[in-house]
Amino acid sequence: MSIVDKLMRIHTISVLLFLYFPIAIVVLSSFNEYGGFPSFKFTTKWYESLLQNSTVWKAFNNSLSVAILCALVSVILGFLSAYGLLRADTAFKSSIESIFYIPIIIPEITEALSLLLFYNFLSFPLGFFSVLIGHIAFSISFVFVVSKARLAGFDKSLEEASMTLGANQLQTFIKITLPLSAPGIAASTLLAFTLSWDDFIKTVFTTGPGFQTIPLVIWSQSARGGVSPELNALTSLMLIISITLSYLYVRMMRKQH
Amino acid sequence: MGFSKIEMEFLKRIGIRRASTYVLTPSLAFLAVFFYTPFIIVLLYSIGVVGIDGVVSLTPTFKYFIEALNPLYLRVILNSLYLAALTTISCLAIAYPAAYYIALKASYRLRSLLIVAVILPYWISFLLRTYALMTILSSLNMLFTYQAVIIGMIYDYLPFMILPLYVNLEKLDKSLLEASYTLGANPIKTFFKVTLPLSMQGIVAGCILVFVPATGEFIVPYMLGGVSVTTIGTLTWDLFLKFHNWWRGAALSIIYISIVFTILVIYVRKIGGVEL
Repeated sequence: MSIVDKLMRIHTISVLLFLYFPIAIVVLSSFNEYGGFPSFKFTTKWYESLLQNSTVWKAFNNSLSVAILCALVSVILGFLSAYGLLRADTAFKSSIESIFYIPIIIPEITEALSLLLFYNFLSFPLGFFSVLIGHIAFSISFVFVVSKARLAGFDKSLEEASMTLGANQLQTFIKITLPLSAPGIAASTLLAFTLSWDDFIKTVFTTGPGFQTIPLVIWSQSARGGVSPELNALTSLMLIISITLSYLYVRMMRKQH
Repeated sequence: MGFSKIEMEFLKRIGIRRASTYVLTPSLAFLAVFFYTPFIIVLLYSIGVVGIDGVVSLTPTFKYFIEALNPLYLRVILNSLYLAALTTISCLAIAYPAAYYIALKASYRLRSLLIVAVILPYWISFLLRTYALMTILSSLNMLFTYQAVIIGMIYDYLPFMILPLYVNLEKLDKSLLEASYTLGANPIKTFFKVTLPLSMQGIVAGCILVFVPATGEFIVPYMLGGVSVTTIGTLTWDLFLKFHNWWRGAALSIIYISIVFTILVIYVRKIGGVEL
């Protein structure tokens, strides 16, 4: 191994340490009786007080219901669009595609404030539904991109065989396409769920009085420098959920190759 | 469900098969109503056509654009672009060697571990990661400084640079590198003449993925910079959620999004296609 290779290896390891060190510290501090380092004594009391906190529980329920509904709706819409577009032979294919790509490129804050103005213009009540709609509008595009990539690698002759044997398009879709793309659908459901579960910017712009999600709770306590052991515990829980979801996603995507 | 003759003619003309049209329509309608219409509303606010109680005047005014282009705001816009550029260049400099190592040098087993390690932070929200960094910066007494913001930006955006670079470098045909060596080029020359030009698409993709969201970043400057750093993101937040000056905020956003699109178009035209 040359000296350059060695240096690159040290560099790569340092980059990963840089990425993971703060996360490790938060998780460790959440189990620390004293809250901060250098002294350490193991405790689960911060988690216990978290379990008794009704604001957190309410926010948890809100986050979960929005994320589940968002995942369901955007997977149905996003997957069907990817399916439809791949089978459509239209001159507008690439324009339709860019309609789906633009929500991914637009900075999130712009999208968030445009929704706020839109709701205000229509006097749409802010709360559960306004947040949910915002999340779906964003997730559809991501599901579309993932599903399209999966469906593109799909053996079309299986569908053709089914049609030749007398099944109509709907039967073929239900009996052949859907089961074969199940892993891709599962992966994009996870993606849509995570996008919604983690979302902060769109939620804060489109939420109304009394409707809080977990990221909003973390924000309202941490903005302007508020670090506390209980917040460490809440953040650690969220981190562990995100890491688990992403690990599942990576595994699902791998299985298909 | 039947189609009228005119509809059939239309469908035939635009060439979408019937079933495909059915399955595409709901999403397109959803995006049209909840993603694209809101942008038109922003435009209406920015030219003062819409007020507190719906439509107030049919004559557009450029008052809010003039307000949004005052020297103070212009400085904020320039600051944000500078911060985003600094973040992009730093991320590229840090990410390239790491992506190169993972894609081309690491052993097969190590590589799959490293890829997972790089993908995981991609999935953790900025809010959580910034909070994690904040706990460290606050114990180092570095909170609310410009350096803290730069560290935070690099920390949050680094995975967005590593991943596209890795994906691109992994596809690199290694025989080209061998050919270059065989023909007498040294490693440095090989890098600049072969590897770098071939990884240009990955660089472009990574830079866009970092630069565009970084210009509007608001969590990092707000949490780590406090009041010491103002960006387009924090200004937008203040205008909308603190001062409720939606008209000026709308004008600012239109200016911002135009700048982003102009930069994107120039960038992509200059360097060529983008593969995201």
